[in-house]
Amino acid sequence: MKDADTHPVISLRGLTKRYGIGDAEHTVLDSIDLDIQKGEFIAIMGPSGCGKTSLLNILGLLDSSDEGEYMLDDKSVARVSSAKRAEIRSRRIGFVFQSFNLVPRLNVIENVALPLAYTGTSQLKSMKKASAMLKNFHLNEREYYMPWQLSGGQTQRVAIARALVNDPSIILADEPTGNLDSKSSHVILEELSDIHKRGNTIIMVTHNPDMTTYADRVITMLDGRIDTDTKTAVVSNSRSAVHKKVGLGSRTKPTSKRQKKGKK
Amino acid sequence: MRLLLLNHISVARESLRRNRLRTTLTTLGITLGVACMTIILAMSFGAVKLVSDQVDSLNGNIAVIRPGAERQIRDLRDALVPMGGDSFAVSSLTEKDYKTVAELDSVAEAAPLMSVDGSVRSADETALDAPIVATTPELETVSDIKVQDGQFIDDITNQNTAVIGQQLSVDLFGTNQSIGKTLQVRGQQFTVIGILKSVNDSTNYNNFNLNDAVIISLDSGKSFNQGIAQIRQINVRAHDPAQLSQTTKQIREQIVINHNGESDFTILTGENIAKPTSLLFNFVGVVALVISVISLIIGGIGIMNIMLANVAERTREIGIRKAVGASNYHITAQFLIEALVMSVSGGIIGFLLGYAVALVLGTFLPFSPGFSWIVPTVSIGTSLVVGVIFGIYPAIRAARKNPIEALRQYH
Repeated sequence: MKDADTHPVISLRGLTKRYGIGDAEHTVLDSIDLDIQKGEFIAIMGPSGCGKTSLLNILGLLDSSDEGEYMLDDKSVARVSSAKRAEIRSRRIGFVFQSFNLVPRLNVIENVALPLAYTGTSQLKSMKKASAMLKNFHLNEREYYMPWQLSGGQTQRVAIARALVNDPSIILADEPTGNLDSKSSHVILEELSDIHKRGNTIIMVTHNPDMTTYADRVITMLDGRIDTDTKTAVVSNSRSAVHKKVGLGSRTKPTSKRQKKGKK
Repeated sequence: MRLLLLNHISVARESLRRNRLRTTLTTLGITLGVACMTIILAMSFGAVKLVSDQVDSLNGNIAVIRPGAERQIRDLRDALVPMGGDSFAVSSLTEKDYKTVAELDSVAEAAPLMSVDGSVRSADETALDAPIVATTPELETVSDIKVQDGQFIDDITNQNTAVIGQQLSVDLFGTNQSIGKTLQVRGQQFTVIGILKSVNDSTNYNNFNLNDAVIISLDSGKSFNQGIAQIRQINVRAHDPAQLSQTTKQIREQIVINHNGESDFTILTGENIAKPTSLLFNFVGVVALVISVISLIIGGIGIMNIMLANVAERTREIGIRKAVGASNYHITAQFLIEALVMSVSGGIIGFLLGYAVALVLGTFLPFSPGFSWIVPTVSIGTSLVVGVIFGIYPAIRAARKNPIEALRQYH
């Protein structure tokens, strides 16, 4: 009997994904083995086209692999029907995107309540829940704004609120700060690490090495493979120090990051 | 599930409201098709109801014998010929048939109807299209005809007497108090002995309008036709309504004997009497229904077109919805309901519009549109079916979109 700590939420074995056919076939993910424990905050880094986003899409059940095994909570998802996949997405997984992906026709609170519509929550209840969630993000005054009336940072916070409204255990964030300035970026990352502290598993893809300081595990990918996999001891005071520095607009972070990584 | 349905409906309303002009134009096709269908249905129900009400008022205790064998409609040419005898042929019903029927034990009363061609004149007016009907006194009770002034024709009075409709009295004499005045039918003098009560059922199973009619005795009628009765219909009242079908069977047997074994007549009872007496009427109805079906199909294609545009425009939204947990089923339902909201609201508006037009038409026609639950059920039901047929493909197309590609759109 394994105990909860050694019990991975996500377990990948030889996961392979290819695009194209024949001569144009291109392997995006090349037999990836990965275990993710409950409550980890993982940052995935790597150059463009190394397969980060493909990996995230497969983890989020938006896409399926060509080979290999994906165990979610010890259950293989290979044979799960598309309706069941949708249900898992709805109840277990929250997505945060680089381009926010709010529905432009819906206002803030409707956007946040959107996932609840697919779990059969009543209109009133889901509005209440969405409202409470927005309050957590200090956005309760923006409930009836339309997405285009918000700043980038606010929009992403709304998107995170939406990702969390169903109380998912896994948050998948695809470059959540890619479209934000550094200050908003750190605000978003603070939010994510708060969520992490509450016990959620977060898997975040990022280009920005600064952002990895919030993660307790950094995975770098190269050409569809996992290049390095580093557990970093996140010390809360060191992070707040980093935060202060970034608050000043420092761009010297990457060096400190690499040092950290080197420590492995 | 119900909650999700409500959610879908409110989402659909919202998205349709956003494209108000587009939605209105799309809905218009369905609206017109359903309006057209509603008018036809309401009018034909009105016409049928009018006659069936009369039959009902006789407690369903009436059978009608008409010349001409029961025909199967094999092609359009058959349908174009009026039912109840070819008008150019000599009627197959004779006075002997009438007498045979009247003498049957189970028959309480029978009245023959003979039409006489010709104009009706008073001293200074001429009515060219007044129906002249020669019959026996029994018609009064068989068809429940009410006399306002004077009396109905009977066997005792002089042959050359007539009972006329109220409107005809006004047309000919300028008053409805015309008892004792004389009029000429085909040059022969008749004295008015009765005025019929005004009725508002100009379309009836007797095929003539009582308000405009001149009713004379069968003998007078025969005198215009070399002494031969040209009977176009025999109305029969049975002693016992419950035995009506038994009675018609007997009548059939007897007349077949009279006709040397030839079954060249038709006996109608109950609702069959109420069916439009002219198949031309049916034919016009069918043509109009075909037109409304065509316009519904065109309306449906319009809906499909707009829904495909909607789906293409909202590809990204579909991706987002799938990412937050919508299944293919949810997406299909969302877009299908959007199409249904369009088609059904078009159907409801079309139904109301159709009834409004039918009511206006009713003021120009001898009958008003009928009210029956079948009319809204059929017209709105049709719009629902059109919505499903033409909305399902765009909805399935929406659901089949790959969420990853959908999310990548417009990046």
